[in-house]
Formats: sequence, C-alpha cells, structure tokens
Amino acid sequence: MEFITTSHAEHAPDPVFHWAWLILLAPIAGFLFQAALGRRIELALGRGAGRKLLGFAAVLPVLAGFVVSVLLAIRLAGMDEHSRLVITSWFPWIDLQTLLVPFELRIDPLSLTMCLIVTGVGSLIHIYATGYMAEDRDYPRFFTYFNLFIAFMLMLVMGNNLPLVFIGWEGVGLCSYLLIGYWYQDIENAKAANKAFIVNRIGDWGFALGIFLLYWVYASNQDLLPLGERRYLSFDVILPLAEQVLAGYGPLVVSAIPLLLFVGAVGKSAQWPLYLWLPDAMAGPTPVSALIHAATMVTAGVYLVARTHVFFELSTLSMAVVAGIGAFTALFAATVAFGQTDIKKVLAYSTVSQLGYMFLACGVGAFGAGMFHVTTHAFFKALLFLGSGAVIAAMAHNQDLRNYGNLRKYIPITYWTMLIAWLAIAGIPPFAGFWSKDEILAGAFFSNLVQTPQILWLIGWVTAFLTAGYMTRMMMLTFYGNEERWRKAEAHAHAVHTHEHPHAEHAAHEEHDTAYFLSEDEVRALEEEEHEHHHDLTPEHEPHEVVPSMWLPLAALAVLSLVGGAALSGFNPFAHLLGWHLPHLFEGWNHPSVGLSVLDEASAFRESAAIEWALIGASIGAAVLGIGLFARRYIKGLPGSEAEPQGLQRLAGEQWLYDRTMVRLFVDTGGKFANAFYRIFDSGIIDGIFVNGSAKLMGAMGLLLRRSQTGSVRFYALIIAIGAAVAMSYVIYITTR
Amino acid sequence: MEVQGFGILSLVVLLPVAGAVTALLMPRHLVGFHRWWALLVSGLTLLASLQLYVGFSGNTFHFQWREGMDWLPALGIRYQLGVDGISLWLILLTCLISFLGIWFSFHVKERVKEFMIWLLVLQGAMIGVFCALDLVLFYIFFEATLIPMYFLISIWGGKNRVYSSVKFFLFTFLGSIFMLVAIVALYFISKTATGEGTFDLIALQALAADGRLATGPIEMWLFAAFALAFAVKVPLFPVHTWLPDAHTEAPTAGSMILAAIMLKMGTYGFLRFAFPLFPDAAVQAAPFLVGLSVVGIIYGAIMAAVQEDWKRLVAYSSVSHLGFVMLGIFSLNHNGLTGGTLQAINHGISTGALFLLVGMIYERTHTRLFQDYGGLKRRMPIFATLFLLIMLSSVGLPSTNGFIGEFLAMLGAFQAGANANSAIPLWMPVIAGAGVVLAAVYLLWMFQKVFYGPIRNPVVNRLRDIKPWEQAVAWVFVVFVFWLGLYPKFFTDKMQTSLNAVRHQTLQPPGARPAWADVRTIDINENGDVVVVQREDLNDLGKWTEVAVRTPSEHQPQRLAMGGGDE
Amino acid sequence: MEGVPLYGYILLSALMFAIGTAGVIIKRNPIIIFMCIELMLNAANLSFLAFAKYHTAPLATTALEKWNVHMTGQMAVVFVMAVAAAEVAVGLGIIMAIFRMRHGVDIDEMSAMRG
Repeated sequence: MEFITTSHAEHAPDPVFHWAWLILLAPIAGFLFQAALGRRIELALGRGAGRKLLGFAAVLPVLAGFVVSVLLAIRLAGMDEHSRLVITSWFPWIDLQTLLVPFELRIDPLSLTMCLIVTGVGSLIHIYATGYMAEDRDYPRFFTYFNLFIAFMLMLVMGNNLPLVFIGWEGVGLCSYLLIGYWYQDIENAKAANKAFIVNRIGDWGFALGIFLLYWVYASNQDLLPLGERRYLSFDVILPLAEQVLAGYGPLVVSAIPLLLFVGAVGKSAQWPLYLWLPDAMAGPTPVSALIHAATMVTAGVYLVARTHVFFELSTLSMAVVAGIGAFTALFAATVAFGQTDIKKVLAYSTVSQLGYMFLACGVGAFGAGMFHVTTHAFFKALLFLGSGAVIAAMAHNQDLRNYGNLRKYIPITYWTMLIAWLAIAGIPPFAGFWSKDEILAGAFFSNLVQTPQILWLIGWVTAFLTAGYMTRMMMLTFYGNEERWRKAEAHAHAVHTHEHPHAEHAAHEEHDTAYFLSEDEVRALEEEEHEHHHDLTPEHEPHEVVPSMWLPLAALAVLSLVGGAALSGFNPFAHLLGWHLPHLFEGWNHPSVGLSVLDEASAFRESAAIEWALIGASIGAAVLGIGLFARRYIKGLPGSEAEPQGLQRLAGEQWLYDRTMVRLFVDTGGKFANAFYRIFDSGIIDGIFVNGSAKLMGAMGLLLRRSQTGSVRFYALIIAIGAAVAMSYVIYITTR
Repeated sequence: MEVQGFGILSLVVLLPVAGAVTALLMPRHLVGFHRWWALLVSGLTLLASLQLYVGFSGNTFHFQWREGMDWLPALGIRYQLGVDGISLWLILLTCLISFLGIWFSFHVKERVKEFMIWLLVLQGAMIGVFCALDLVLFYIFFEATLIPMYFLISIWGGKNRVYSSVKFFLFTFLGSIFMLVAIVALYFISKTATGEGTFDLIALQALAADGRLATGPIEMWLFAAFALAFAVKVPLFPVHTWLPDAHTEAPTAGSMILAAIMLKMGTYGFLRFAFPLFPDAAVQAAPFLVGLSVVGIIYGAIMAAVQEDWKRLVAYSSVSHLGFVMLGIFSLNHNGLTGGTLQAINHGISTGALFLLVGMIYERTHTRLFQDYGGLKRRMPIFATLFLLIMLSSVGLPSTNGFIGEFLAMLGAFQAGANANSAIPLWMPVIAGAGVVLAAVYLLWMFQKVFYGPIRNPVVNRLRDIKPWEQAVAWVFVVFVFWLGLYPKFFTDKMQTSLNAVRHQTLQPPGARPAWADVRTIDINENGDVVVVQREDLNDLGKWTEVAVRTPSEHQPQRLAMGGGDE
Repeated sequence: MEGVPLYGYILLSALMFAIGTAGVIIKRNPIIIFMCIELMLNAANLSFLAFAKYHTAPLATTALEKWNVHMTGQMAVVFVMAVAAAEVAVGLGIIMAIFRMRHGVDIDEMSAMRG
C-alpha cells in the first residue's frame, strides 16, 4: 500500500501533499490512544498528572492537523489557480469489477478551508474542553469521542469520493450520538442522543439514494468516462463531467440528484423539516455543542452542497428548493429563539437560523458566500458557545437565562469576548459576521437563478433583524440588568436518583456467585466514587471567572470574530465600491472549488453602486434596529411578563408546536401502530391463524381419527380379517372377470 | 481436477463428526474433557478450513477442492464436494462461528457431553451443506442440520423451548420436503434429456445452461419448490415466524449458529441451486421475491422496535437484515450479488456477536426483558463498548462491515430498479432504505434501554464486567467487523468470479450460459473474443468433449435484461 | 399320481385357516389366541407344502431345476416355523409379564394402547 498522488498540474505534484494523510490519521491515532490507554494512564499517574497528559495528548493531534493544513494551504496557494487540486490515494476500500472506491484524499481550496476550520477552531475547543471537563468522571472517554469526532469530520471534508464522505457523514452522526448521550445516566440525554442519530439517518437515507443515483448515471455512461475508469463516485471523475453526462437525462434525474443530496444536507445541517435533533443536542457538555455547531457536523451539509455545486447549478428547481428551505429555516428558527429560556437553546436556534442563511446563499448561487459564512460563523458561534459554557460553569451549571443577570461584573473576560461575538452575529461592521451576511444578502438580492429574489432578500433581512434581537435579549439577560436574579431564586430541588427495585425477586439469583457479581462492599465503594459533587445555584452563589485554559480560546476566537471577516473579505464590498484595490481573499482562494460568487457573475445587475450602498445600509440598519429595540426592553433585566413566556412567545418557544406534532405523529402514534401490528398481524394472523392454526387443524383431525383405536385386540383382529377377505374378494373378482 | 475419494473437504466435513463419535464413547462425567475436546476438534477444523482459503484461486468460477466418488450409482447419486467463491466464505464462517460458539458454551453446565456432541454434528452437517455438489447429498446435509438444532433448542432452550423447537423443525421441514420432490423430478428430467438420470449439480446445471433441463411452467414449479425451502430458511416474510421463537429460546451457541449460519443456507441455496438450475424462472420471480424482501426489511424492523425481550429484538432484526441479503441477490447485478453475499457474511458476524453478548448477560441475570435492565454501562463499561461496536455494525455504520453489505446490496437493487426495462420497480430499493433508518431506531432504543439511564435493578447494580476470556471471544468478532468494513477487498476478490458466473448463468440466454462443466481451452479467434468450450461428458464424467464455440460472457459483456450498466 | 389330490390339501388348509381366524376373533384367552395363530400359520404351511409337491414347473428342464422348485416351497415352511417360534417366545414373555403385573390375562382388559 503506497500513497499515489495525482494532480491537474502539468508536472508531478509535490510529495508534500502526502502529509495530508497526517491531518486525518493524527486524530485517529489520538482516538486510539485515548480509547486504549486513557483509563490506564489516568489510574497510573493519578487524576491530576494523568489528565494533564491526556488533555495534552488530545489537543496535540488536532493541533498537528492544523499546522499541516496551514502548510498545505500555503503550498497550494503557491500553485497556479487552476491546478489547485491534488488527490492522494492509498489502498482501495471497495474494489469490485463494477466499482472502485479507494481511500483517497482531495486537497483543494474548499477541503483545506474546511480542514482549517475543523482543526483550527477544533483545537481551540479541545483546549477549552481540557479545562471544562477537568472535574468529570470520564475524562478519557470524553476525549476519545472528541478526537474521533474530528477524525470523522476530516474524513468528510477531505474524502475524494462520496462513500468516503459518507463514512465521515455517518461518523460525525455517531460521535454526536455518543457525545450528546455522554452523561448517559440521565435517560433524557440518551433520548436526545437517539433523536440526533435517527433524524440524521433520515437525511442519510436521502444522501445514500443520491449516491446510488449518481452511480447509476455515471456507470451507464462509461463511454464518456476515461477508459477503464471504475471510480464512478470520485469527485475528480464526476464533477468535471457533470454537465456532459447529465445532458442525456431528463429533468427528473437532473433534479433528483441535487435534491437527494440536499436531503442529506438538510438532516446533517439541521434545516427544516429535520432540524429537530439540534436543539435537543444541547444535552451534551457545552464543548460538544461548540464542536457540533461551529466547527464540525452541521457545516457538513453546506460543505456537501458547495462541493457538488455543479449538480445544483444544473437544476434551477433544486436551487430554488435550497434557497427556499434555507430562507424559511432562517426565519423560522430566528422566531423560535425568542421563546427560549435556556441560554444554550437560544444559541442552538441561532445556529439553525444561520445555517439557513448559508443554504440561502447556496440556493441563490453564491456558494462562495455560503462558505464564507460557514467560516465566520465558526468563529463567532464557537465563541458564543464556549462563552455560554463559561457562564454555565460560573453559574453552577444552571442554564436558565432567567436566573442570570449582571454577570459582567463577575466574569469580565467572558463578557468582553461574548460581546464581540454578539456584535459579530448581529452583523455590525467591522465584526466578522457582517461581511459574510452582507454578501449573502447582496447575493440574494441580485440572484438571477430564481424569480423575484428580492423576496429572499427580504426574508434574509427580517432574519438579520430578528437575529440581532434575540442575541441582544440573551446578552442583556445574562450580563446586564441591575439585579441578580439568582439571588432571589429559590434553591432548586435536586432530583435524587433513587434505586427503585421493580424486580427484586431477581436479587435472589446467584446471590453468592462472586465471579459474576460484586460483593456488597465493592458496590458500596463504587457508588461512593460515583457520587458526583454537585452544588446548586443558591442565593449565596458567587460566580467566578474561568481558568486560563478556558478563557484563552475565548480570547483567540474573539480576535478572529473581530478581524476575521474583514481580513478574509479584503474589506469588500466597501473596497470595490470605494475603488480600493483589495482582493477578496476568501473568494480568490475558494473560487476554483466552488465557482465564482454571484457577486461577480451577476455584475450586470450591479452597475448601480447606489443600490449596493442601500443594501449595505439596510443590512446595518437591521442590526442596529434589532439591538436597539431589544436592548431597550431587556437592559433593565427580565420584564415581569416574561417570568414565564406567554402567548406568542411561548408558542414560538415550543417551535410553533412543530416538534410536538412530529413526536406525536411518528413516535407515539407510530409506536402504537407498530405495537398493534405486532400483536394483531404477526402474533395474531400469521402465527395465530396460519402457523398455529394449521397445527390445531391437524390436531383436530387426529382427535377424530383416534376414536378408531379402541384398544380391543379382538376388534383389531376382526377388522384385519374383514379387510383381508375384502382384498381377497377383489383380487378374485378382477382375475376371474 | 477432481480428487477421487476423500480430500481436504471431506476432512473438514467429517472431522467434527468423528470428534462427536469419539466424544460419544467417553463417559459423561468427564465434563472438562468434553468441553476441551469439542473446542480442540472445532479448532482443528477451523485450521483445516483455512487451507481451503490458502489454496483457493479467485480466477476461476469452477469448483475447487473437488472430490467425488460414486455412492449409489444405480440411482445416479454421487458423493461429490467442492467449493467456489461463494461457499468458501460460508464454510470459513461456519468453522469460525462454531469454534466461538463451542468456546462460549463452556458456560453450559447441564448435559455437557450431549451439548458438545450436538454442536460438533451440527458443524459437520453445516459445512456439508455448503460444499455438497450432489442434490441428494445436499438435501441430506440440509435436513441433517435440523436434528442437532432441534435437540439444542428443545433440551437446553428457554422456557418455551418445546413449542419453539417443534415449530422450528416442522416449519423448515415443510419447506424442504417440496424441495425433495423437485430434486426427484430433476432426476427424471435429466433422465429424459440424456438417457441417464443424475443428481449431480454440475451435470444438471450443464443441461440448464443449454436450456434442456426444464422450461416453462415446469421450471416455474420446480423453482417454486426450491424457493419455498430456501425462503423458509432465510426467512422471508411471511414464513418468518419460526425465527423469533427459535432464536429466542435457543441456548446462546444455538442462537449464534442459527443466525450466523443456518439462515445463510437459504440465501446460499438460491445462489447455488435455484439460480443456476432454473434461470428463467428466477428472473421471472425476482420482482416478487424482491418485493417480499422489502416487506421483510421494513416489517422485521417494525416488529423489532416493539419487542420487550432483548433476544427477540435481535431475532427480528435478522428478518430485516436478511431482507437486504435477498434484495442484493435478486437485483442480479454484480454490485447487488456481491453486496448480498457480503451481507450474508456480515450478518453472521454482527448478529452472531449480538446473540453472544446477549447470552453473556443472560448467563448472569437470567432475564431478557428490557425492563430489568438500565444503566448497565455504569457497571460494565467494557461490555458496553463491545456491544456498542457490534451494534454499530448491525446499524450499518460506514467503516463497519454492515455498511459495505447494505450499501452494495442497495446500490445493486437501485441500479436494477433504475433501469427502464427492469422488472424490479424503483420504489422497492427506495423503501428498503427506510429499513436502514428503522435499524437505527430499534437498535439505539435497545442500547438505550439496556445501557443508559439510572440503574434500577439491584442485580444489575452488582454486576461485574465480563471476564477476559469472554472479552476475547467478543473481540474476535470486533476484528472481523472492521476487517470486513475497512478492507472488504480481501473477501470480495475471491468472490467476484463465482458471482459473475452465477449472474451469467441466470441472465444469459440458453446456450450462452457458462457451465461449471465447461472447461475453457482458451482458443481466441481473430476478433479476440471467442473461445472453444469443452464440456464434461454427462454419461462419462471425467471425459471431455468439445461441444460448442461460444462467446464467453466474462470477456464480452452483453447488455443484459436486468442490471444494465454493469462492468 | 396317487393319494390325496391337491384340492384336498387346499380345502383342509382353508378350513384350518378359517378356524384359526375365528378363534383369534372370539377367544379371550391370549394362550388360545396364540394357538389359533399357530393354526393359521400351519394352514399356510400346508398350502406351501402342497403346492411344492404338486407344482409342475413347466420351464424346468433339468432334474436340478425341478428339485429347486420343489425345495423353494419347503424352505418357506421352515422360515414360517422359525418365525412362529420366535413370535411365540416373545409373545409368551409379554403375556407372562402382563400376568405378573395384573394377575390376569383377559385380552379385553389389555387396552392401554387405546387412542
């Protein structure tokens, strides 16, 4: 097994690109290390030193991946714009006469962008987690999952064929399942984990069908492919030939491919109607939420759409669907965020909403803008989540916004960093969010792919206003207000897990089998160890600032949220409007992968600088309006009417009853139906009537026949004699006839 | 190429039986001896079977390791064995699962001698099923597997064992009795065709390759008889209800073997007998059987989701998973056939392991009801990890074995369905995809009910984690889960040629079907694509005559009626 | 050929068989039933012997062949006698066992095998 690297460049590609494997293999090695040795090291070195070593070992591979990604990005940037694609392949995974799927990595601007986000933001979150999880009982298990998560995400973004992407795709689903259910003793967390995996699987179903359809299309058109090419699912084979191959197919197939892929993206990126899992995913530890929401997982859908954008561009219908779903989700989730009282849930819906934004960008053809928003969103959303984690840690793991207030006094670093993230997501220049959001709104306004794109723009604008609004509400309730509400809060009754004994009779079994069972003393010792020191939010509580390993990542992300957007966009659109010659770095880097943004393609629409200035003004206006209006409402603290959300706000908080309806429809009713089906059809009809029924029929016939067995020997003899006589007579009759 | 008399295949078949006979002669109170003896014999069989792999060539579809001799010449019955790329893996799987099953059966405390003897007899019979090349011999082995399994369930089973074992026996016997009739019919058909009746699969298939075996309604009826026998075994909806009862009540080793191997006899039977002998009927029946498979996938999954009994849930999951195997096989293209065959092996690994792990806990707590569990992960982290890995392979997570099989099977079915001239409607594979979602539903629920949440049962609260030797048994399965999942090429390489042969035997028109009796003296003409074919003389086996000049399907793919876009 | 003609043997044989059959059906003592069965078997033997003696064997040409044909019937008689002896041995054993257990051997009371 050796690495083979190919490239579009004239000369052989630089062997340095083999190092791309390191990006992927380092977290896998980290995962194996934590899984195999984590517990042992912790036991051998003690909790303090062991955890230091393990934390270091967890961060290191991700950081190494980041360094390699940076190096490769520099090397790739040095290459000619149109040859920025290197593929390095290892051994074959699926190798049939009809299909070849090698383990192959694709190194191009898009995948490296994602790699940089995943490993860069990912390693910051890892560092943060070493602090956040320091007191947890299962430290090595956490980082086992965490490293695996990064590995799968890297597989997703670097894989050069759809099945490899699918490994990562389902792999991050698995890791989210494991991490959401990390505190598994609470059954609600386990249920949330199940929900995440299952809802994701629905999306994966669509994705898989999309892969099948692509395979069928390309395998049926071998004459268009290079001779002997069996990699029907590899991007470097299918993407350049998309237009040519699909030319022979009707609109059904041409639209079905992108739409099926989009179903997968909807599941993974939590768009309506499959966003349901994401808010529940807040059950996991906060660093998990940050990882899922900012750096990995949910961005996968946007990545997939950007990666396969050629298929989307071939079907106007699919573009309209993507834009429509994106816009609707953005607006829908933004309204829901107003009804949330849990700080993490506010952020969760804000993620759903922002992802809708990204799909809106893709749907109007501005894939580059979508990816740009992925990047800036990674900065500020990671910051917001990690910040909320710091708040939660400071507040004795109470997550209710209504119990916060005036926290800037106690946790200033957290406050200042989150302030930057807040302004970034609200879209105030020069913070990062403004640049990408403005690009998306402009893209929507000028799009020529859908009719009356201005409606999409309007939805985006309203969402921008709402985003500024609910983020302001969250910030005000947390950090402002002159009263400290938890001071008045009554101590919350802490649910004590009591051991019920529903089946105590089993206790009698194997009472003394020490091979299988622990002794009473051992059980007591274990239970002692498991008892978690959990203290509640009490009126005497004093919030404390977090440890350096937690606030340093916050600071780093704050810097990125502050300058990242402006730097990457080269102050565009201001730059080109004002005639500065500053290139749009992000677009210049990414356009070989995702195509030119609509900003350039639709330049015919952009002759009027006035319109563009107006759009920028409207965009900033929405942010300022949202902040202003809601700051006025919440700056004094929680309005009395919101102690318990009422009316519309409450309805919004319950997702306009969508989640509840779905659960009732599919989980409750479906479960009842399945149960009834089992009892009536499987046990009743098939087994009862056909299987056991036929057995009973045989039994009944036997009952009739047994009457003839009287048990009287002489009666049997008589019957034999008569039978013999009859047989004899018959023989005589036929022989003498 | 044929060994007269006994060869390594006979060794593999007879070694366990000989071991059983030896054990029979030893006194029953030597419990330790019986355990280690059975393990030793089974281990030696496993080693011997590895030789089958080592010397196996993936370049030919002809049977290898062939051996044969006349058994009842007056009736044309021969003792004839051989393996190809399909049966090779099933034999290896049989040896592996039997070995691990016997190993795990060290738990068994009652009537150890008989238990081990039955397991060994069962192993021999199962291997025989997978390498018999004579229909009568196959039938004997096929039925012979029922007897040990009947006793394993009815003596060592759970509470409802008598009902389950009788149901299991009668159900499967009912199916195969029709097959026996069809086998006899084939004898007379071959007698009419060649003047001399035979039960030799190779000879019969050679007739079928030329369209001389059975055609029209007779072929359909014969196919139906075979298909019924195999469908019960698979089991296909609606003849599946023996399975949950038998699997649930059987002792752990019995459940493992039932799920991992005995179900595969059904799918194997389709590939080995039903397709090559009745090609046209198989193609005609494909949409119907694919439909049943899809119903089985969804139905089994829904039934699994509502079970309250741990083992019964796993049993119903088998109904669902075997649906994927049938879906792949009946899509009749290369992807589907490979996927189906791989999935058969995968299911053996995953579900075998699931039953093993459930058995470990059952051994301790003596309950299978979910309500008695909860929070198990806290007391048994290693067990939970192993169970999670195996469960993920059953869920079909990419990078585990389950994914490869399901992916290729569904890819094949989709491909078959997408073709405009296909008899399989596209909605069937699309609906089958829902089975993957439902698999996540019931398996994750199962995991949640057993491992997550607070500990509610004082017995569970006192459980120790599983012992090292139990972990070792489970780790073997985990290794295969990822071996098959990450490097399936190791397995598919020696499988593809045989699967190609089955496909062409089924899909090509009479005269162009490759026959196992053919020997290709590659004699390429100026076009480079025609070879001279020699065929074994049916009346004088071992003598080869030149019969036809034909285009070999492997060299020149034709646009087939189904599953186009291949190759 | 002198002496008793063939139909005489057959008539006697039939009579013996009929008596035996009637005895098996009407008698309740198993010993007598056994004797009646013996009577039936001997009736069959008598027929064998008679046919063996009178059979003309039209296709047999040599003396050996003719002798063979005669002997076939006589061999059958020996077989029947051997089987009858074995049957009686087993049967009497069973009857003795039943007698010891139940202190009586009325055949009408032995109906444990009733369906």
